[in-house]
Amino acid sequence: MSEFDVIVVGAGPAGASAAIKLATSGSSVLLVERGDPPGSKNVSGGVLWGDSMGSVIPDWEKTAPMERYVEAKGVSFLTKDSKISIDFRSRKLQERRSGYTVLRTKLDQWLAKKAKDSGAMVAAGITVDKLAFKADQVIGVEQDGDVITSDVVILAEGANPRVAINSGIREKLVDRDVAIGVKEIIKLPEKTITERFNLTSPKMGFASEYVLGFLDGGVKAGGFIYTNKESISLGLVISMKEMRENNNTRSFDLIEQFKEHPYIAPLIEGGRVDEYSAHMVQEGGIKSVPQLYGNGYMIVGDGAGFSFSNGMVLQGMNYAIASGIAAAESAMKAKIKSNFSKGSLSSYEERLKSSFVLQDLMNFKGIEDVTWSDMIHRGIPNISEELFLSLFSENGQPKKHLYNNLIRSIGSSEVPRKDMIINMYRMLRRM
Amino acid sequence: MVLEIVVMIKQVPDSQEVVIDPVTFTLNRSAARNVINPADENAIEAALRIKDKVGAHITVITMGPPFAESALIDCMSRGVDDAVLVSDRAFAGADTYPTGLTLAACIKKLGKYDIIFAGEESTDSSTGHVGPGVAEFLGTDQASYTSESWYDNGFVYAKRELEDGTEVVKMKPPTLITVLTNANDPRRATLRMKIDATKKGIKTMTLADLGMPPEWVGLKGSPTVVKSMKAIDEKKREGKKFKLEEIPKLVDELIEKKIISI
Ligand SMILES: Cc1cc2nc3c(=O)[nH]c(=O)nc-3n(C[C@H](O)[C@H](O)[C@H](O)COP(=O)(O)OP(=O)(O)OC[C@H]3O[C@@H](n4cnc5c(N)ncnc54)[C@H](O)[C@@H]3O)c2cc1C
Ligand SMILES: Cc1cc2nc3c(=O)[nH]c(=O)nc-3n(C[C@H](O)[C@H](O)[C@H](O)COP(=O)(O)OP(=O)(O)OC[C@H]3O[C@@H](n4cnc5c(N)ncnc54)[C@H](O)[C@@H]3O)c2cc1C
Repeated sequence: MSEFDVIVVGAGPAGASAAIKLATSGSSVLLVERGDPPGSKNVSGGVLWGDSMGSVIPDWEKTAPMERYVEAKGVSFLTKDSKISIDFRSRKLQERRSGYTVLRTKLDQWLAKKAKDSGAMVAAGITVDKLAFKADQVIGVEQDGDVITSDVVILAEGANPRVAINSGIREKLVDRDVAIGVKEIIKLPEKTITERFNLTSPKMGFASEYVLGFLDGGVKAGGFIYTNKESISLGLVISMKEMRENNNTRSFDLIEQFKEHPYIAPLIEGGRVDEYSAHMVQEGGIKSVPQLYGNGYMIVGDGAGFSFSNGMVLQGMNYAIASGIAAAESAMKAKIKSNFSKGSLSSYEERLKSSFVLQDLMNFKGIEDVTWSDMIHRGIPNISEELFLSLFSENGQPKKHLYNNLIRSIGSSEVPRKDMIINMYRMLRRM
Repeated sequence: MVLEIVVMIKQVPDSQEVVIDPVTFTLNRSAARNVINPADENAIEAALRIKDKVGAHITVITMGPPFAESALIDCMSRGVDDAVLVSDRAFAGADTYPTGLTLAACIKKLGKYDIIFAGEESTDSSTGHVGPGVAEFLGTDQASYTSESWYDNGFVYAKRELEDGTEVVKMKPPTLITVLTNANDPRRATLRMKIDATKKGIKTMTLADLGMPPEWVGLKGSPTVVKSMKAIDEKKREGKKFKLEEIPKLVDELIEKKIISI
């Protein structure tokens, strides 16, 4: 007899959702989290897109510690002197559902409490060392020499899956599959934020991604700004490969350059940096997804490579929650059959394939080649800067047709025209 | 007979996270998470080391609000056997006198006690009153400023770090020992023990359980009255430079100003 039906390793959105789902359905669950309190190890902030949470906590929109509802979504290209943006605002966006900005320290603590209230045992401040095996069946976890047993282990350890690697169930991460995310929480009064970002009420928020085409040495990185109630989450994501190719550029230098940009600085003026953190981001797409299940275990969330970033949105929490729930459902089904073998848990992958989790990853295969391309980081920003400069300036010269302006602007870009065309095609296909 | 050890712990705001309000100069405690007072971590470890060597039953107690529960479970996850939360609205506003009195009453209620451990002082009020206070209320011996302690053949030994050296005292139980911050390297909780601790849970005592008159505890039982508080402006000290060959002059001046004496 195992001590628990399921042990969940990691209380991020993936693990907590799995634990809540299982405990609510009457399974005995142990949720183990390294941080004490849960959330203290996580990079605060981000946008929780969609309604994945609704299927574990139906009233979450009323009770969860959300910051602001995203009514305005931006995508901008930044060059040294210019900012070219889409700033999309629509009352229809609210009807269709966008997302809420969240602070992870608050959200994760709330989720852990929900798990506890639903009957899960939450052990915070404990780091699991590895999986425990009997022959080739996972029978629980190992910590400080002790083995704690369960029928199923759900690994929800996030973007740095050390337990899975140490237990030999997945490969080590390679540079091209990981990026580094750095983030600051900048304090500003609620009213200032609402005014600066032209929001219709203090409940409404702005979220934007930025292509940073102007960084020293041509380093490619993607920036973001999300508004919380009384703070702004500002940060950037840079691929590990890009870091290394640029002699280990320091991410905090880059974040300073982003903050000092002429059209970013006014947004954060007068703010005080309250928190600073760095975290890994999975960027490998479908090819970095490991074997997702085996005898007695399943892998969920970032640890399974479930995240999506196309330069316009960065999503992971919604995939984390959806995959956590899918794993919980498969564990429950396995319990009914009293069969915890690989074959029995394969229903987990089936569930993912029929949901947006794996479908998005499959549909956007190879998108990382586009997001980190010269075209996105230099081509488009430079061309559009040139184009808009010629369109919007008046220097007494005869006006040209838009088409001629565009051709001239493309010609002025340093990115070879052939590369531009190839990437343009890829982008249209893959985005 | 098994040795009975009691450890007193206090929850304090994490000093690394405490923000000082730039306008009022008061501590913004709500912003910081609560942690076990650092010296108390060392007190727990001191107790566990005695348990490792000669065997003991350890009870950890704290007087404080209900959220102290997770800290108590954490202590049990390192090897402490039982935990008691002394909690009642009536205790609110206690200064060091009723705090000590209440803790002493709790310890008496627990029954037999051989060694009581406390931290040297807390990081948020740092009076260092509570440990010695409890010893006085219970009428036990006490050893303060200790870096190490052990039990051998019916006696408790404690090594005290004093200004002019160390002193080892030998005491007959029951006795109270206050432990210096960083006296030892506290062990971490394990998952196995955390599971057991969570299943076992903590005990709670209220004013009624202690059978103390309400006027002895909390604000009513506190002789200290805070009349006012003010932030102290740091005075700029006037510096004075001396050349190397002027050192005798510097020494003379320091003696004259009664900063040093020979
Ligand atoms: C800078 C940045 C910005 C982002 N912005 C967004 C955004 O706007 N929207 C969005 O949807 N996503 C965003 N993401 C991605 C998102 O954060 C992740 O996809 C999401 O957190 C994944 O959830 P998870 O539960 O799988 O992992 P995590 O949230 O990483 O949780 C894993 C948990 O496991 C714990 N743990 C790890 N190892 C152990 C162990 N051995 N024992 C015990 N506990 C362990 C960790 O402490 C952690 O709490 C962002 C990521 C970064 C870095
Ligand atoms: C002048 C003054 C006025 C105060 N007024 C108030 C007030 O109005 N309201 C208020 O809430 N507080 C007040 N306090 C704070 C309160 O008295 C102390 O926090 C409390 O009595 C413990 O004192 P300390 O933190 O200095 O502990 P110390 O004596 O420095 O602590 C030494 C050790 O005693 C033990 N210990 C201390 N407190 C506890 C506890 N609660 N449970 C278990 N063990 C413990 C721990 O082992 C600790 O390491 C006041 C303090 C002072 C000096």
